[in-house]
Amino acid sequence: MKIALHVPCYINELFPNVAKATALLLRNLGYSLTIPKNQTCCGQPFINSGYETTLPNMYDEIFGKFDCIVSPSSSCVGTIKSQKIKISPKTYELSEFLYLQGHKNLAKNHKPVILHNSCHSMRHLDVATPSELNIPYKNKVKEVLGCEIIEASRDECCGFGGVYSIKEGEMSYIIGKEKLNDLLSGWKYYFTPVITGVDMSCLMHLKGIAEKEGINAEFKHISEILLESLDEAS
Amino acid sequence: MKHHELAVKFYKQKGPRHDKSLWAIRQKRDKAVKEVKEWEELRDKASDIKDYVIKNLQSLVDEFIKNAKNTGIEVVFAKDAKEHNETILKYLKEINAKKVVKSKSMLTEECGLNEYLQKNGIEVIDTDLGERIVQLRGEKPSHIVLPAIHTTKEDVAEILNETNTDPTYLTHKMRKLLRDEFLSADAGLSGANFLVADKGWAVVCTNEGNADLGAVLPPLHIISVGIEKIVPNLKDLGIFLRMLARNATGQKITTYTSIFGKKDNGKRVIVLVDNGRFERLKSEFNETLKCIRCSACLTTCPVFRRSGGHSYRYVIPGPIGSLLAPLTDKKEYSDLPFACTLCGSCEAVCPVKIPFTKQLVNMRRYVKKIENGELRMENFSIRLAKKAMHSPAMFKLFGIILRLTPKPLLESVAKEWSRYKALPAIPKERFIK
Repeated sequence: MKIALHVPCYINELFPNVAKATALLLRNLGYSLTIPKNQTCCGQPFINSGYETTLPNMYDEIFGKFDCIVSPSSSCVGTIKSQKIKISPKTYELSEFLYLQGHKNLAKNHKPVILHNSCHSMRHLDVATPSELNIPYKNKVKEVLGCEIIEASRDECCGFGGVYSIKEGEMSYIIGKEKLNDLLSGWKYYFTPVITGVDMSCLMHLKGIAEKEGINAEFKHISEILLESLDEAS
Repeated sequence: MKHHELAVKFYKQKGPRHDKSLWAIRQKRDKAVKEVKEWEELRDKASDIKDYVIKNLQSLVDEFIKNAKNTGIEVVFAKDAKEHNETILKYLKEINAKKVVKSKSMLTEECGLNEYLQKNGIEVIDTDLGERIVQLRGEKPSHIVLPAIHTTKEDVAEILNETNTDPTYLTHKMRKLLRDEFLSADAGLSGANFLVADKGWAVVCTNEGNADLGAVLPPLHIISVGIEKIVPNLKDLGIFLRMLARNATGQKITTYTSIFGKKDNGKRVIVLVDNGRFERLKSEFNETLKCIRCSACLTTCPVFRRSGGHSYRYVIPGPIGSLLAPLTDKKEYSDLPFACTLCGSCEAVCPVKIPFTKQLVNMRRYVKKIENGELRMENFSIRLAKKAMHSPAMFKLFGIILRLTPKPLLESVAKEWSRYKALPAIPKERFIK
């Protein structure tokens, strides 16, 4: 199987360590992974700001020849899927890809983590079941991780919302702060809590609030947790 | 004031209480919904029925009018709010009505009926408890099913000149006051939740029975209802009755579900209102006509729960309001589709599966079309950024510029962010160089 890594633009610029961890993880799990060079942006910020745009044609050109495309961001995958281009059906968010490939409990010896279930992964992709729906519950991220997971009491939005965080900065912060408190309210260990998730954008927003408020918490993308566990195991 | 300013003001005034009350209702709703194992199938069915209704709206309207007339109801078609209000005034004048009791109808709010009747010398008493509270406070409903959810028991005691703030006591007091109004009213006005096309009947769902008193006691009962409330037959009605109350408040069914045909002790009139609905049918937002006004999208919305309904400044607030308001005044309500994180929770609770996320994004594009002239700077940067989307070289250049920009400058460029949150540290190297 020929896999390509989609590197979301903001991850490439702001969180290169997440892209690196995703690449290493997939390679360590034995996948032959290509990282195409000329990647840009999937257009999500423009579409969600009300501008007409089409995904660069080169997305099909760059990624078309691969069997599947894996991306460490459910909101970018959501955009690629909603645009219905050729590669849409074979583009997967990282944890969903791992789940479908049968990788479970990859981090079973990892210390407990707090999981932020992002809206895009639950309500736009099929990564976890949101509480609104009456369908059997599943959470692919939890199954792939396999360690002790602490979740917020509500599975609601963290208030980031991309363009929302700029249009309604203070409300975005208010929702985010409540989310952060909810995420941390179940933490019962003496060491610094680690908050993880499949969307670095939500985590960036929550981390920004935590730093400004002096709240002690670490933020790590799921790929970083999985890679740490794999390294420890080997 | 626009949504954000009003939202922050509301949150600072009220604190987390509003959010907590509504979240409790969301949880009740989740529990009630999960008692019905075929819930998701019901949603599919309800969505299919509504798709059928909006595709065949004209013929269903004709069928309903014919059958309603046959059962002995007078039906008047009103093309807009003005015609709606004038029609109702005409019927009230005929019997020389001085006072009317009204039960909840978002359509009459949409048409501004209360103000119109009062200007014409007719006293309008809202009889839904929540609506009466907001009426006495000189406000509009802030939620379409829980109109006074933004108030407290202390607020209610204040408008009743009471020092006792016990909710049961206050409810009894209000009940007594309203009983007198029911008995002395000349006519009853109400909305309708559904119209059954093949029977010509109107269905009204309430928890307080106030619509029933207004429909039965006075000699004249007028129902104001939008054309999209039609369902083809009783079998389809059953599906919506199973869903409406569960999805709205977590009740199995509303306390009163009344089906009205001919009125035995007087006259019943249905004013069937278009007010832009046939026009909307032709637009890209026609799926909003599927809405049954259950209010679940308001209750679940993370923004609405904290901002309160009045911040939307439109008769219908929340996610569905953000789709409806800009269609009535694009400029005034251009902020509403952006008062949303696109979390998709509204879409997940919607009993008729309105594709909220897609529609809200389309609505952003729709309102942008007038803003273009005003936002040249944003336009310029967006055009530049869109160019970069197709050019890896330009993208790389942006990355270099980002790394050369001093932190204080970045913070001032991203001031809406950095005012409340720390900016992420900019790493020296990109991943794909």
